[in-house]
Amino acid sequence: MAEPELLLDSNIRLWVVLPIVFITFLVGVIRHYVSILLQSDKKLTLEQVSDSQVLIRSRILRENGKYIPKQSFLMRKFYFNNQEDGFFKKTKRKVVPPSPMTDPSMLTDMMKGNVTNVLPMILIGGWINWTFSGFVTTKVPFPLTLRFKPMLQQGIELLSLDASWVSSASWYFLNVFGLRSMYSLILGQDNGADQSRIMQEQMSGAAMAMPADTNKAFKAEWEALELTDHQWALESVEEDLMSRELDLDGIC
Amino acid sequence: MASVSEMYDVGWEEMRDKLRKWREDNRRNSEQIVDVGEELISEHASKLGDDIWIIYEQVMIAALDCSRDDLALTCLQELRKQFPDSHRVKRLAGMRLEALERYEEANKHYDAILQDDPTNTAARKRKIAILKAQGKSTEAIRELNEYLEQFVGDQEAWHELSELYINEHDYGKAAFCLEELMMTNPHNHLYCEQYAEVKYTQGGLENMELSRKYFAQALRLNNRNMRALFGLYMSASHIASSPKVSAKVKKDNIKYAAWAATQINRAYKLAGRGTKETKYSVKAVEEMLESMQITMS
Repeated sequence: MAEPELLLDSNIRLWVVLPIVFITFLVGVIRHYVSILLQSDKKLTLEQVSDSQVLIRSRILRENGKYIPKQSFLMRKFYFNNQEDGFFKKTKRKVVPPSPMTDPSMLTDMMKGNVTNVLPMILIGGWINWTFSGFVTTKVPFPLTLRFKPMLQQGIELLSLDASWVSSASWYFLNVFGLRSMYSLILGQDNGADQSRIMQEQMSGAAMAMPADTNKAFKAEWEALELTDHQWALESVEEDLMSRELDLDGIC
Repeated sequence: MASVSEMYDVGWEEMRDKLRKWREDNRRNSEQIVDVGEELISEHASKLGDDIWIIYEQVMIAALDCSRDDLALTCLQELRKQFPDSHRVKRLAGMRLEALERYEEANKHYDAILQDDPTNTAARKRKIAILKAQGKSTEAIRELNEYLEQFVGDQEAWHELSELYINEHDYGKAAFCLEELMMTNPHNHLYCEQYAEVKYTQGGLENMELSRKYFAQALRLNNRNMRALFGLYMSASHIASSPKVSAKVKKDNIKYAAWAATQINRAYKLAGRGTKETKYSVKAVEEMLESMQITMS
């Protein structure tokens, strides 16, 4: 059923839609620089550095072990996986899951994260809602059910208006997520203005605890290394080499 | 004395770009760096902007290499003024003390850095370098081993350790270090070749076979590695002439050695193309190969 098309004043486009885009964008850029300023130094302990490198070495042994002689590979595998005193069996790191309450540095990090991201969003969202209220801003291109009306049409008291016509607050939120790709273009990957990424991290990051990882990582490496076998890449290297003449181009 | 820009007719941007290229390629052409860098710093400092700090560092290290203590001191003072608390600058100060052979003071300097930041690899490596400069190879080896226990992934440290072991004639351990390097850089033909040379030096039938295989691998990775080609020839002839091998192995190795010899001849012919001396050099190569042949029984 064709609903009557509303014609919006073009002033709305000039004075509402574009300013909101600019505001969102500039706030994002400012957030990026503020997060850089507030970044605290991550101090790694010697043990953490050492462990991460050991894990890398074990992984390299698994992947590229075929380039060293069989004896050497077995020697290293034995060093890592031996039943009594192999490295992965023997080392148990002290596991202290850093809960936000006990670990002060994590607490400040979380607070900084909240201040730079969530607070501005709420403040500016509210301000926009207050400033640009009482009129329809734009229309979303797909039909929505009536349940979305109170959410998307904050200041507009029209019962019969289609839910597709939204207010400026919802246009603001649309911008927050939409400008993400613009931020990557201008500020490079990994920028502090990327809100949705941060929110995703917050949701999944609460489940991760770093130090407990080390023990689990060691166990995982041990299993993986047990399964690896040595397939010497150099078995038939002479035959391969001599199957054709050497390419001596450029020798002088 | 004409300045660099006059001699080569380059502007300051080209000089700066050249310095950057040398920095990225990790080249140690210290005299050139000192010439170019000194002029850049004295004449064009204001135009360089923030690049100047890293150029100061590069020129300072080059100046220490060329015994230009005056230049090194200037650079160090500028860096100290700008970055008073930096570990990186402190390491440079330590390096200057090393260059002046004031090793005790330099050691104290590095210990102070390490107390502040135990994960600082640069300071530890400089301490090991001091031991090496003083000729205390056994201690240097011991310290380097301890360092590598903590930082297993540091490739230049593994390479340095392999060099130290070769100097001490401990070929087994040198081979271990080179194996680490081969694992992390499987496509680098130079590591394969060095490993093969160490195995060849160790001697014994098994090592000789390994050495031949790794020379072949180095050649496979880079067809133009002449050293590996000669190595292949030598190791194959060595095995072929050993009395303890079976007939089949002997035959195979004679075949490998012959193939290697043809390739060597080909290479010298190609290299000498277009010159009159080609005939003579090819003959010289053939004679050399004959003389290198281990007598086959």
